[in-house]
Amino acid sequence: MSLSTKPATFFTTAVVALVLACATIIPQVYAAPNGESTVEQVMKNGVLRVGMSTFVPWAMKDKTGKLMGFEIDVATRLAKDMGVKVQFIPTKWSGIIPALLTGKFDIIIGGMGILPSRNLKVNFSIPYDYTGMSMAASTTLAKDFSGLEAFNQKDVVLSARLGSTGVAAIKKYLPNASIRMFDDEAQAFQEAINGRVHGVVSSAPTPAFQAIKHPTKLFLPLKENFTREPIGFAVKKGDFDTINFLNNWITYVTSEGWFKERKSFWFETRDWEDRLN
Amino acid sequence: MIQQPPRLKLFDLLIFALVAAGLAWLMGAITAQSHYNWQWEVIPQYLLRLDDATQKWVPGMILTGLFITLRISFWATLSALVIGTIMGAMKSGRSHYLKMVATAYVETIRNIPVIVWIFIFYYFLGDIIVPLTGLDRAVNMNEGLLRQFLTTFVSDPSLLPVFFSATASLALYEGAYFTEIIRAGIESIEKGQWEASSSLGFTRFQQLRHVILPQALRRMLPPMAGQIISTIKDSSIVSVISIQELTFQGMELMSATFLTFEVWLTILALYFIVCFCCSMGVAAVERRLTQNM
Repeated sequence: MSLSTKPATFFTTAVVALVLACATIIPQVYAAPNGESTVEQVMKNGVLRVGMSTFVPWAMKDKTGKLMGFEIDVATRLAKDMGVKVQFIPTKWSGIIPALLTGKFDIIIGGMGILPSRNLKVNFSIPYDYTGMSMAASTTLAKDFSGLEAFNQKDVVLSARLGSTGVAAIKKYLPNASIRMFDDEAQAFQEAINGRVHGVVSSAPTPAFQAIKHPTKLFLPLKENFTREPIGFAVKKGDFDTINFLNNWITYVTSEGWFKERKSFWFETRDWEDRLN
Repeated sequence: MIQQPPRLKLFDLLIFALVAAGLAWLMGAITAQSHYNWQWEVIPQYLLRLDDATQKWVPGMILTGLFITLRISFWATLSALVIGTIMGAMKSGRSHYLKMVATAYVETIRNIPVIVWIFIFYYFLGDIIVPLTGLDRAVNMNEGLLRQFLTTFVSDPSLLPVFFSATASLALYEGAYFTEIIRAGIESIEKGQWEASSSLGFTRFQQLRHVILPQALRRMLPPMAGQIISTIKDSSIVSVISIQELTFQGMELMSATFLTFEVWLTILALYFIVCFCCSMGVAAVERRLTQNM
């Protein structure tokens, strides 16, 4: 009968194998560098595509849906100094490096900490900012905890954002504690507010702001930040023209005192809070 | 036989009251247990807000996301239906080669998880396919009628390559399921129908178009409705490749405002409304088709 579906098993397997083989081989062919530096491409296209992710107060959307924050100011200024338009591409933090490597945008400007492990995959500019890890602890689970050592126990559970330097900091400074990782900052904090984890590790000043917002659920067990991390721009590897440009731009803008002024606006004041909601 | 419409009995009401009471208790318990400080008053401005500059009502972040979800779902469903019809016809056809191609497609897609497929398409295949379509040049498109059309019905030209990746990967994924639904529909039609239309001198395409598909459509409609609704829900997965649709906007909003429950419940309600409207629409189509029998 012509309508029967006799399984052509061998051929089917062969075709499936071929499709899968293509899917793995072709990208490697296409991944070959085309020799043009990112700076040249940006100048040619007239637009700087910036990969970023929401991180209060580095980058966030205000109530009108417009982006604002420290990193947004930095990227806007960088594009202005290059004489091009800026286009922000909000990207999930856990996938931001693969997205840069596959050319979804030109540069990551998102408060990215310079880590040796990250540096093996991307090139970093010199640091233009420093941040540190801080912790907010649950008032129910970690009531009498104080100091970092109190949290370095086997039965302590901490939350952090997936792929963030917070995870790296916990592994290094609190090796005995176990980690629960979340895709977003808010989820990590919610877990501590709900009293399901002892504490949440995140870049300062977010833990402090959250502790002010939820005074009965969260408190700050540490007096100071327990890490100091350099923050840099990330671009694809093998592109030294771009790194050279970025480094000198950072030196130029730092000597103006511009970074300091912007940083104190976003990190030390809360003047921007009514734009949020 | 004329069926009596089901009547509500006391027992049904009792069960209904029990379920409602259970749900109310659950909500209360969740609120009490998590000591959650509800701030519902913040949400409306993300749905609709009055623009200060122009004094006009404009959609907020959540509604903007909903529109993108609707556009992706619409184009993905439409393309998936086309793919499914072609592949379904191929799979139930007479050519062994075409049958093999269709089977390979269905088996490849159906046996990989959707999230992995979307990642692979976005990071690897998209980079090859998008330049071929010339969509990457659309980024620098000037003002004009085409641009206006794209912005209204498809996506902002600057985001077109990513939008294409998301829609195409979703369409290819859902297409495999539509293929099977359509194949099953075609094959459920009795052999006599093929033979009768063949004896009237219809070509194979005419047989499908005028005799087989109209009858099969009625049988395919219920599973198809399920698949269309699935496509809308699956569109939330493209948030992983940073399409700014409803789920992604929800996550962004949550990162910025830390209002976990309010944001997710709003998103949930919006998905429910959209999917439920679709269910209703398909049910209406089904009723009309049955009446015309």
